[in-house]
Amino acid sequence: MINKKELEKLAFFARIKLDREEVSKAPQEIEEILKYIQKLSDVDTLNVEPLFHFPELRNIVREDEAKTIDKDIQKKMMGMGKDKDDYLKVESIL
Amino acid sequence: MQNTGGTKITIKETQEKLKNGDISPEDVVSGFLSRIKERNKKTNGLLSVFEDATKEIKKKDKKLPLYGAVFAIKDNILIKGERCTAGSKLLEHYIAPFDATVIEKIKKKGGVFIGKGNMDEFAMGSSTENSAFGLSRNPLDLERVPGGSSGGPAVAVADGMCNAALGSDTGGSIRQPAAFCGVVGFKPTYGTVSRSGVISMASSFDQVGPLANSVEDAEIIFNAIRGKDEHDSVTSSLIKKKVKGKIKIGIPKEYFAEGMEREAKETVEKAISKINSPEIEVVKISLPYTEYALPAYEVIMASEVSANLARYDGIRYGLEFDRPAAKTIQDAYLNNRGEGFGKEAKRRIILGTYALSAGYYDAYYVKAQKVRTLIAEDFKKAFKKVDVILTPATPTLPFKIGEKIEDPLAMHLSDIFTVTANLSGLPAISLPCGKSGKFSVGAQILANRFYEDILFSVAKKLEKIWKQ
Repeated sequence: MINKKELEKLAFFARIKLDREEVSKAPQEIEEILKYIQKLSDVDTLNVEPLFHFPELRNIVREDEAKTIDKDIQKKMMGMGKDKDDYLKVESIL
Repeated sequence: MQNTGGTKITIKETQEKLKNGDISPEDVVSGFLSRIKERNKKTNGLLSVFEDATKEIKKKDKKLPLYGAVFAIKDNILIKGERCTAGSKLLEHYIAPFDATVIEKIKKKGGVFIGKGNMDEFAMGSSTENSAFGLSRNPLDLERVPGGSSGGPAVAVADGMCNAALGSDTGGSIRQPAAFCGVVGFKPTYGTVSRSGVISMASSFDQVGPLANSVEDAEIIFNAIRGKDEHDSVTSSLIKKKVKGKIKIGIPKEYFAEGMEREAKETVEKAISKINSPEIEVVKISLPYTEYALPAYEVIMASEVSANLARYDGIRYGLEFDRPAAKTIQDAYLNNRGEGFGKEAKRRIILGTYALSAGYYDAYYVKAQKVRTLIAEDFKKAFKKVDVILTPATPTLPFKIGEKIEDPLAMHLSDIFTVTANLSGLPAISLPCGKSGKFSVGAQILANRFYEDILFSVAKKLEKIWKQ
């Protein structure tokens, strides 16, 4: 069902670069799980509603408030990578 | 001074010792810290250790319900100012800016934290071999896995590094490692415990719960962390109680069928035969859709994983690689996610992407959600006849390190008895029910949604019977 080309396409959709070993191994591993999942087609689900939510639970809504991070935690966050001054260093993307 | 580390000790026992003046609060923590020093290199249950817990415990009010209790916390639960990796290289440098609701609650009720527990990356796995920070080992046999994904917390409790731990359970990730390590593990009813500040895996299944040395401790912790929270939009404070009367335990035949290891099966059967109490009646039941539970779980879980893990782009949560920066943002995402995620995470994200893609959505995702309805209805019918259901917690004893890591499907089959509770939102507990050689074997008890009361009451009775 899934060949290498399809796998690479899916991996691209998921924004994951696979190395050569993964590209050669993953189709078989995923295929095996898909085969196992095929079992579901044996079940007659005509007139069955999908279970997206449990009946006892209702959405809770609240105001969206912005919070500031404590200074000492911010300091701790800074120290972990190769950050400079008050800035977190991230990969340049533009 | 008496040292508490080294042997398993419950919250209740620690509190008793503190009350009688047998030990000081500092002794409680230092005992655990010395045990960690001695054992953590071997079992790797904890990824980080908080030495300042000694100071913290002295600050707590003696009257608080969790006073004296020392916890290990799975590394996907945020503790303000501490590193939180979820077992992933992608979060190696991530510092939590706030406390998870469950952490806030434990702090307020007097508990302290001694460290963060190792886990399979983003809680995906059944052996803790998928951690980016090294595997954990089962204290009962160092050549075997402790189970997963909350393997570290289970090791910490079983190896005497703390009184109890918090884990998360998406398909059995609390109950399976608890069973493998010989401790108690409890997954609450979906919606009873807040997931605010808990790193999401599959949102319609994820629940936070305790790993403990007794059912009573698990109940104490559950009562401390439960309740509606406006930061988790599907939480509720609902509690349902059984009207008094004889307790009926259902034994579903489907959980004793093919594929179960003989030693595990016989130990659970023997444990069931020991239930001989005038207040309890054991009856046989059937849950006919059981065989479709794991396939349905695979589809829904992978789909939700692919959506939840889309946020990890390697930029916002600080991942750094020693290579030149990418030329385009797309390349940055591809590289960061390709290098940052482990094999199992990648497989599940790709599978979920497949199941949710146009043309397959109905055939996989919706179909699985319909089968989920049928599985939940199986239980609904069963709970009209019985109060709780008793099954094995796992199909096998703890397996050897490396045995299943190259065979994803075999690994996933470890969760075959535990995923049904997540699919149906039910509370479920695993507790030791006997031994096979040096290994402990776990039984699982399930109750109807929000019926934790009857679940704990039965579990305490059975724990007493099985300890004799």
